[in-house]
Amino acid sequence: MPDRLQQALTVLETRFGSAAPRPAEPRHAVRSSGIPELDALTGIGGWPVGRLSLLAGENGSGKRTIAQRHVALASQEGATVYVDFRARLDPEFMHRLGACFERLLIVRPKTIKEGMEAARVLARAGAGSVCLDVPRDAKGLDAELPHLLHRAQDAECSLLLVHDAEVEDVIRYYASVIVRVERRRWAFHADGDLAGIEVEAAVLKNRMATPGRRARWLLEYPRPR
Amino acid sequence: MIACVRLPALPVLAAVRQDPGLRGRPLVVGENAGRTVIAASIQARSRGVVPGMSLTHAEQCCPDAIVQPVDQVGTARVRQLLLRTLYRLTPEVEVSDAGYAFIDLRGSTWRWPDRDVLLETIDGRIRALLPARPALGLGATLFVSRLAADRAQPGAPRLVDDPASFLEPLPISCLPLDDEQREYVELLGLRTLGDLRRIPRVAFRRQFGLRALRLHDLAWGIDPRVIPPWRPPSRIEESTPLDPPLEDMEALQFVVRSLADRVGELLAAGGLGAREIVIRLDLDGSPPHRESVRYAYPLTTGQDLFDRIRGRLKRVRPAAPLERITLSVRHVEPAYVRQPGLLLRRDGLVEMLADAIGRLQEESRPELIQRVMVIADATPVPDRRYRLRPVTDSP
Repeated sequence: MPDRLQQALTVLETRFGSAAPRPAEPRHAVRSSGIPELDALTGIGGWPVGRLSLLAGENGSGKRTIAQRHVALASQEGATVYVDFRARLDPEFMHRLGACFERLLIVRPKTIKEGMEAARVLARAGAGSVCLDVPRDAKGLDAELPHLLHRAQDAECSLLLVHDAEVEDVIRYYASVIVRVERRRWAFHADGDLAGIEVEAAVLKNRMATPGRRARWLLEYPRPR
Repeated sequence: MIACVRLPALPVLAAVRQDPGLRGRPLVVGENAGRTVIAASIQARSRGVVPGMSLTHAEQCCPDAIVQPVDQVGTARVRQLLLRTLYRLTPEVEVSDAGYAFIDLRGSTWRWPDRDVLLETIDGRIRALLPARPALGLGATLFVSRLAADRAQPGAPRLVDDPASFLEPLPISCLPLDDEQREYVELLGLRTLGDLRRIPRVAFRRQFGLRALRLHDLAWGIDPRVIPPWRPPSRIEESTPLDPPLEDMEALQFVVRSLADRVGELLAAGGLGAREIVIRLDLDGSPPHRESVRYAYPLTTGQDLFDRIRGRLKRVRPAAPLERITLSVRHVEPAYVRQPGLLLRRDGLVEMLADAIGRLQEESRPELIQRVMVIADATPVPDRRYRLRPVTDSP
């Protein structure tokens, strides 16, 4: 950027604060979701680092597949944590997605508090990405979330929360990005096998880029290895 | 410049310190189990007793020798005394059980501008401490200084300014030769270090191999070894009495937290970190309860120390009210040991994750954190092929 333009921007920022013009490039570090359409939808190229992102939607909408794609990709880059509150993670599906099992830590807590403490400690210890697959009835999650978020900010860890139910206002408040996913139709191969689902996602909240975007794409299921 | 202090072997010094009547008499310190000589006094050595020979052989060489078993505790105490005394003079010191103490004089010029004064001080301090008078040798390297000390008389330090001329006439046995090398050297007719030096380096390497080049270097006075510095152990402990005795375990957490903060401040003041934390709970009318946790790397802050011990404290169920809580840290070492983790983030990351996983598993259960294991030779049924197992190593 030319010096004069930078100087002008500095003057405007001093005068108008957050209302001043800003560079279009993302200011925040991000981790790719593993789905190009979703990366484009968030407006910053993926899930933000050091912040909480929320994937919401009904059962069977494809949000868990989206989250597991991100976890598989993140595990190829560094230590990744999947907090499996529901104890339903399918290792074979993760293998199909290309997860690196050496770097993927699966936390199976008995209570919300135990799982959140484990996530907090591992985020602080250097895990690059933490995915929380919370059950429908997640009592106490709102109380634990600020502590986890604080650790994630310090440790530059991306947090992704997957939730079935209508989330509480507190969680909405702490989330920087909220993406709601809906299933539109099932997609099949020519031989009749299930190819995936067509999903439509909408950004309900976005603190880093413009909210309200919508996108529709085919979320393919990986073929067995 | 390195100073070497030659003393009788430390086991001999320990025995004489225990019984001053043994001073000046032929004393042999042996190991009962192996029936071998560990160390011998100068009087016994003058009659042919050397370490490593059998006690029977030693008694034949010196019939009036007084044979004593090794006093391990006394030897360790003498070593500590010697190290602490020399450490006060200059910080780079090391002591071997064979009776040699090495002092690196480089960097001590400002404190000791006159070297003779320093040598006199060393001599005086050791004489005040131990029942022996040291012989001092000075040279540019560990090897030369040790040989100089071997040839020095007590009270007359031997300074080697020109290592080449000093080493020239010395016997070849000064070098640390193994049996095969010794035999080969004798076959070649090499008697002195000067003889060995006259063999070109390339030819020596061809005859003795690459590893033996170190001997050639030593014969020229080149010794790249440095003194592995000894550091006095630090003990950091904080304690608080509880009056009236404490029964509330929640309150215990707060007390330990404040103790951990105090210990953390002391560690920070000394630039230190600790690898072990020990909590002692003195109980009212019952034996004390101890809890300890060890870490893979030195912890430096009160928060870190408390985080690591908190899980143990939660499980403590004391049999009686607590009268006193003492928190001490062990394995104290410079905190910079932890810093490579900052420079090489990947290494630090692995270490910290492993530590965190271990702690979480210890505090709750091993199955809390698991990893997928792919069993390649299992049947292709997902439940058989993929198994979740508790993590046992770092990712």
